[in-house]
Amino acid sequence: MSLLQVEGVSCRFGGLQALAGVSLEVREGEIFGLIGPNGAGKTTLFNVISGLTRPSGGRCLWRGRPMQGMGPAAINRLGIARTFQNLRLFESLTALENVLVGLHHAAGAPLPGALLGSGSFRRRQGRLKEQALELLERLELAPLADQRAGELAYGDRRRLEIARALATAPQLLLLDEPAAGMNPAEKEELRLLIGRIRDHFALSVLIIEHHVPLMMQLCGRLAVLNFGERIALGSPAEVRRDPRVIEAYLGGQP
Amino acid sequence: MDAGLLEQMLLGALLALSVYLPLRCGQLSLATPGFYAVGGYVAALLSTGVPAFAGTGATSPLPALLVEMVLAGALAGLIALAIGGPVLRLRGIYLAIATIALVEILRVINLNLPFTGGAMGIFGIPQPFAQPEGYVAFTLALLALACWLCQRLEALRLGRAMAAIRDDELAAACVGIDTPHTKLIAFVASALLAGVTGAVAAHFFNSWNARAGSFDASITTLAFVVFGGSRLWPGPVLGGLLLTALPELLRPVGDLRLILFGAVILLGPLFFPQGLVTAERLQRLQTLAALLPRRRGAPLAP
Amino acid sequence: MDLIQILVNGLSVGAVYGLFALGYTLVFSVLGVINFAHGAVFTLGAYFTYLLIGGAVGANGLLAGFALPFALPFWGALPLAGLGAALVALLVERVAFRPLRRRRADPLLALITSLGAGVILVNLIQLLVGAESYAIPTGALGGLPASFPLLGARVRTVQALLLAISLLLLAVLSLWLEGSRNGRGLQAVAEDAETAQLLGIDSTAMVRLAFGLSGFLAGVAGGLVGLSVSIAGPYFGIGYGLKGLAVLVLGGLGSVPGAVLGGLIVGLAEACVPAEASGWKDAVGYGFLFLVLLVRPRGLLGRPLPTKV
Repeated sequence: MSLLQVEGVSCRFGGLQALAGVSLEVREGEIFGLIGPNGAGKTTLFNVISGLTRPSGGRCLWRGRPMQGMGPAAINRLGIARTFQNLRLFESLTALENVLVGLHHAAGAPLPGALLGSGSFRRRQGRLKEQALELLERLELAPLADQRAGELAYGDRRRLEIARALATAPQLLLLDEPAAGMNPAEKEELRLLIGRIRDHFALSVLIIEHHVPLMMQLCGRLAVLNFGERIALGSPAEVRRDPRVIEAYLGGQP
Repeated sequence: MDAGLLEQMLLGALLALSVYLPLRCGQLSLATPGFYAVGGYVAALLSTGVPAFAGTGATSPLPALLVEMVLAGALAGLIALAIGGPVLRLRGIYLAIATIALVEILRVINLNLPFTGGAMGIFGIPQPFAQPEGYVAFTLALLALACWLCQRLEALRLGRAMAAIRDDELAAACVGIDTPHTKLIAFVASALLAGVTGAVAAHFFNSWNARAGSFDASITTLAFVVFGGSRLWPGPVLGGLLLTALPELLRPVGDLRLILFGAVILLGPLFFPQGLVTAERLQRLQTLAALLPRRRGAPLAP
Repeated sequence: MDLIQILVNGLSVGAVYGLFALGYTLVFSVLGVINFAHGAVFTLGAYFTYLLIGGAVGANGLLAGFALPFALPFWGALPLAGLGAALVALLVERVAFRPLRRRRADPLLALITSLGAGVILVNLIQLLVGAESYAIPTGALGGLPASFPLLGARVRTVQALLLAISLLLLAVLSLWLEGSRNGRGLQAVAEDAETAQLLGIDSTAMVRLAFGLSGFLAGVAGGLVGLSVSIAGPYFGIGYGLKGLAVLVLGGLGSVPGAVLGGLIVGLAEACVPAEASGWKDAVGYGFLFLVLLVRPRGLLGRPLPTKV
């Protein structure tokens, strides 16, 4: 069944056509890849899906229902969480607190008990903290829980952003270049990690990544964007053979 | 120390907390003095105009003060609620200037309403306490309550959401936090605190006029927070206490006093860009405090 | 009051607001912060003008009875007062802005440090020349008549001059910003300081240029207002400073034509307030500002703020 449908989405900034009638569909449980040269409109598409950018044409549907007019917070509540290409952590908060912010909607408690620090409130806080630590554990960040996000190493920051996104209990995870700046060994680890996350949380993944070999291994299906247009869609094998993709990537050489 | 000065310092600390609350979620609002003035007018009008609030004895009844504080806070909070939605869509310096404009608009309204006494304001506001010490005890309790609430905020998800918005509003929205709602809560809480503080201040000062809520006050209260440190609540409290006391303490230098005051505001941020109170310094203080009792019994080092 | 007089009043006050806002804008566009000492620099410009035309200090300050040994005509005094104010603005930049820039501190802090500088300046004035008000005699204008007829109404010469000089300065500044090397350098720094640095533009020099110019404009505006309505004590710049702030945002932060347009709109709107409601006059500009911000947060001529993801 289809989880997310993108129907003919267009986006225009001033004179620049960032997206031109892009359509695709993410099915339940799949890892769907989005590749294309720089400036092809991949991140813009993420911004449209997550409610940060209003498309000038087309629409997105979540489980068949239109998402028009919804803001980023409401879209997150639907079950879509994302990471950012340029990392947007809460820098002054610790790794643990970053994940706890993600658990916001699981953390509701009656105000009087919360103010007075009642037993039930403290127990609840304890459970939340356990939950957050478990997420950090799963992303191999547990020893860094009390470090400020701004002080973490680059790779740890990337994984922390994924942990924070997972804390919001998404059914669809949007990853924007999660492997950027990583060495081949780290990339391989990340690939395995994404697979494990998908299986453990039973979610779908929509991922942007430049490293094509990684995407070929990781994704069940791929879409290729070039100058805001979707030029190919299919399994890794189909995409690899597509002449338009070869042209976009290799500049016309066979 | 003179009880009257101490009371002013406590009022300054309360106003600093009112500026701190929106800043804690990244919103630079300078509206505090506007709400402070409105709160003061509520108390001044009720206690001079309604016999039940003025009382019959030498001092006005304490319950009347409490009711005035509730009403003052409510009116300030309602104004904040009404304008907060559109105003809080503004960012950074735009928000700051819009709130300065709000303070000026409120000042002109207070100056021109038919029942607020014009430029002279309202005189002879009855005293719930016979001595300044009474005000000090009462305001100290109010400040303690405000500090306790700020401290509890750290443990609540609301406090974490506010900190997240301060660091990155867009990312906070993307993890499902209703950012306009959270910012509005902080703004209304700030107004409420300022309104309540104004109600106490109007009695203490015995008279009230539109000058209570001016641009100068906007910037002075912001200086409290920047000077003391805007990350943790003890920062604004310390900044409010110190900077309110400073002009009075500088009185012996006569005409130079305001020049020195200016120099302190100018140099403070240069030497303490994070403010006086930072997490690191607080931690060091705590370790020091933990060491102290042990040292007391120990013999002096040779 | 008849229409022509209202129009001239409104436009001349509006032009001063515009000059004021332009000073803010110059600094804002290169540093992204508001200089709260701007009002104090304006005030100083007025006092400088007063002294340069040969005015004597009253009895209340440290400088009681002091007067310069020479007296310049108003036309000579005004640009010199502007230069003096520019020097003070450069000093403000040196003590309140540059140390923060060097430390890459939170720009918010500059609001406080510049306010501190303003408090020092204003109280220094009070200490030196006292709090009384000073009037610049219209005789300083030489042989010009006090008023002249225009389209059947009588217009005060001072106000016509205020308007003419302000508009002239605004026009010269706009041309200079667009046409000269330094003007374009200033704009480049305002656009993107890092790229400008890469292109070999000395951003520190540009920041100094912005402060110097903004100080000059403030000083000239101060002298003109002092001539028009007298210098009402060391604090008289604060009201104009606040109004300038409203004008600045109304027109759009960082926009030169916006500052001028905003100033004229607020000045005209205030002049239209009838005398019996004059108590509400001060709220007009802020009310306008508030409405505009709610409908169009970037101001009338401001560019949209890009949100980068």
